[in-house]
Amino acid sequence: MAVTIDYSKLRILPDSDSREWWEATRQRKYLVRQCNRCGHKWFPPNIPACRKCASMDIGWFETAGKGVIHSYVVVVQPIVGAFIGAVPYVVAVIELDDCREEDGTVTRVAGVMTNDEAEVAIGLPCSVVFEETNDPKIVMPRWQIIGSGANTWKFTE
Amino acid sequence: MGALTDKYCIVGVGETPQMRPSNRTTLSMACEAIRNAMADAGLEPSDIDGMTSYQVADSTSSAHVATALGMRLNYCLDIFGGGSSTEALVAHAIGLIEAGYAKTIVCFRSMNGRSGRRMGGQIPGGPIPAANAEGDNQFNMGWGWTTPAQRFGMSAMRYLRDTGCTTKAFAEIAVAHRYHATLNPKAIYRSPITIEDHQRSRWVVKPFRLLDCCTETDVSAALIVTSRERAYDLRHPPVFIMGGYARTMTESPQWNYSRPVIHRVAGNYGWKRAFGMAGITHQEVDFVSCYDAFTFTTLIQLEANGFCGPGEAGEFVKGGRLQIDHELPSNLSGGHLSEGYTHGVQMVIENVRQLRHRADDACPGAREGKHSYDRSKGCRQVKKARICCGMAWGWENMASCLILRGMAA
Repeated sequence: MAVTIDYSKLRILPDSDSREWWEATRQRKYLVRQCNRCGHKWFPPNIPACRKCASMDIGWFETAGKGVIHSYVVVVQPIVGAFIGAVPYVVAVIELDDCREEDGTVTRVAGVMTNDEAEVAIGLPCSVVFEETNDPKIVMPRWQIIGSGANTWKFTE
Repeated sequence: MGALTDKYCIVGVGETPQMRPSNRTTLSMACEAIRNAMADAGLEPSDIDGMTSYQVADSTSSAHVATALGMRLNYCLDIFGGGSSTEALVAHAIGLIEAGYAKTIVCFRSMNGRSGRRMGGQIPGGPIPAANAEGDNQFNMGWGWTTPAQRFGMSAMRYLRDTGCTTKAFAEIAVAHRYHATLNPKAIYRSPITIEDHQRSRWVVKPFRLLDCCTETDVSAALIVTSRERAYDLRHPPVFIMGGYARTMTESPQWNYSRPVIHRVAGNYGWKRAFGMAGITHQEVDFVSCYDAFTFTTLIQLEANGFCGPGEAGEFVKGGRLQIDHELPSNLSGGHLSEGYTHGVQMVIENVRQLRHRADDACPGAREGKHSYDRSKGCRQVKKARICCGMAWGWENMASCLILRGMAA
């Protein structure tokens, strides 16, 4: 179920470290940072050096935008004005499938998923979708469930 | 610390009332808190030659306070910082005094945390009407995920999944800290609550309910640090600083969520240092304070600091273990959950009062250290209060600790 976000109340201001990432979402691409020296990948993209080798020679890795829910929260009381009409909504941390590194390092990202808590469980597979906002320069990535999973876990009251 | 263990002391503590709202400036509140701390120590403004504070661009400065109270300082510094800064400023004070930069240092926090800038970023009346998302906010505000409750909730949810713990463990903490607040005339919330009350309270952000969240407050609180030699001449028996760690971080502190275990918080990296400096075991700790921005932050810090094993905190807190007269009393003033949110200072203040055996409760002889230990008459003094461990939280990835020793019991 789509979350209705009032983007007129939220203005994203890209900076010199993040501009290319937001340009990529306009082209419906989901990027993470990648080190040109050691290959390490990371999120969020506004971190301008590689924590594994401290290199600042960095680029981008285009992910397939697929992953597994690692954790989530259900926001019931809105704080950000753009989300006043969106509650309740689920924000999830997603572990990307194609960013696992040989030493066990993973890249996890975050995003809005759905209004329907019942759909969501830790361990479910999901993929990115892109949503236009009132600002033509900003296309916002969101995440949706794309199937079922083994060993899923759901919060119960 | 090792060689510096017991060489420095907290000699004065003071605060304003916990207010909602204060209708006062942060400067006015800071002056009152510091005057109270000086009076508590038996010190005059001319005895104070160092001042430090922390804030998040929401408060007055040491220079303003020094001007108002007529102090000529040899050292002042106002840092940007939130939870876990109190203990870090105490660590700074020890280093400054040891090196000869100052002799007696006051550390304070002053905030209109309810009527002014609120920690979740919302305006006093409610949600933020409209906002620019720049810097780190580009990558959280766009998905409505900004406040401490929303952020820490993510780690808490994974903790519940990984350990099998339930929100009944959160309730144990809310109930214990509230019980202590019923014994504290200064506390904002003084009616006792039950596990069921917690479970019935409204959702803020799942897995957190209203009674998992601390109480936004307008308040100032201050404490004074000096050397042992000077402390002996002051009004109260000194409270000795045995050890600690200060704003210790995990790896990748700015993005917690790609770490292998997102609820393996910073205390895990610090506690051996603190207990090593102090030269004590966990069994020697008579009571604790444990930064309760949320019930979960208390829960996770108990295991992060080695009071129980990984994943065991839910079991550990069951059956009122954290309540006064039980095994490990926690947050004896009621903490941030029930007394009021002071960004951490008040927990250290309460620990100092307990270690002096002078909890400011309803006992008529409290000021002379005479307590009934009768909870039905409002006594909140811990009977055996010799060593306490104060654990402070900045966020998942930053923490501080202060192990203190008193002379009174």
